Amino acid sequence: MEDKEINEKESLELITQMIQSTQHRFEKNSGGPFLIWGYLTTILSFTIWFLFKITYPEWGSKSYMWQYLWFILPVVGGISTFLISRNNEQAIRTYIDKVTKYIWLVFGIAGFVISCISMFLWSTPILFIILLIMGMATTLTGLVIKHKVVTVCGALGTLGSLSCLFISGIDQNIAFGISFIIMMIIPGHVLNRAAHNQKNM
Amino acid sequence: MFKNLDPLLHSQLRLAVMSILIAVEEADFVYLKEKTEATAGNLSVQIDKLNEAGYIEVEKSFVGKKPRTTCRITTLGRKAFELYVKALKDYIG
Repeated sequence: MEDKEINEKESLELITQMIQSTQHRFEKNSGGPFLIWGYLTTILSFTIWFLFKITYPEWGSKSYMWQYLWFILPVVGGISTFLISRNNEQAIRTYIDKVTKYIWLVFGIAGFVISCISMFLWSTPILFIILLIMGMATTLTGLVIKHKVVTVCGALGTLGSLSCLFISGIDQNIAFGISFIIMMIIPGHVLNRAAHNQKNM
Repeated sequence: MFKNLDPLLHSQLRLAVMSILIAVEEADFVYLKEKTEATAGNLSVQIDKLNEAGYIEVEKSFVGKKPRTTCRITTLGRKAFELYVKALKDYIG
């Protein structure tokens, strides 16, 4: 392309062509944040369940101290996400990127605040609440980026949150971990696969 | 002839750059070069012209150790682009 004058028809064709070329793209490692938070949450969920099971009832109520391991999640997840986004050489940022960023910022902060309230102030069915809001955030992300797998997995995660209301005690962690596999790990890999396939097209 | 068309936008390469930037929040130099298939030198000159006119903002930064030039459209640029498209439609009728 050069610095040359064009006629009105060529101008309109060029505008259409350039705008279309920015659509339907998945950046490399699009599923990265889903995978970081998905694997981290699932591993922590199963680890806390396991540690509780091998220490209860010998340790009595002290076994519930394992729940404080959940605070590893925002620290490791937050730092990893920050480092990845800082080093991510994203060629373009669209309005969709901006919307999804704000979705996760709002839902993430809400999840963290509710977790702190539940841990230190008064008890709430925290795993149900976290799964519900993260499922909603995943579903919204899927709808915004128009990706069926992400939308469906998010909706399944939201529905999966109900399981935490019917399962009592530490066994909720199992339902929670399985829900995160469906809700984040599967969509994360699918998004990365989509980005990989798009690159090879 | 296009007497009422903005001469700054009425050029193939500058119009291509503006059309991309109207559709996204921001785009880097490498992406613009790839999409427009222009030479780095020519693209750089046209970006400077758009920047001097206040149609786009150019930000230079580093990703790791690699330099990165990011462009985004300004309110003035968006307005100019809209007027340009309206003028084009008037010509076509």
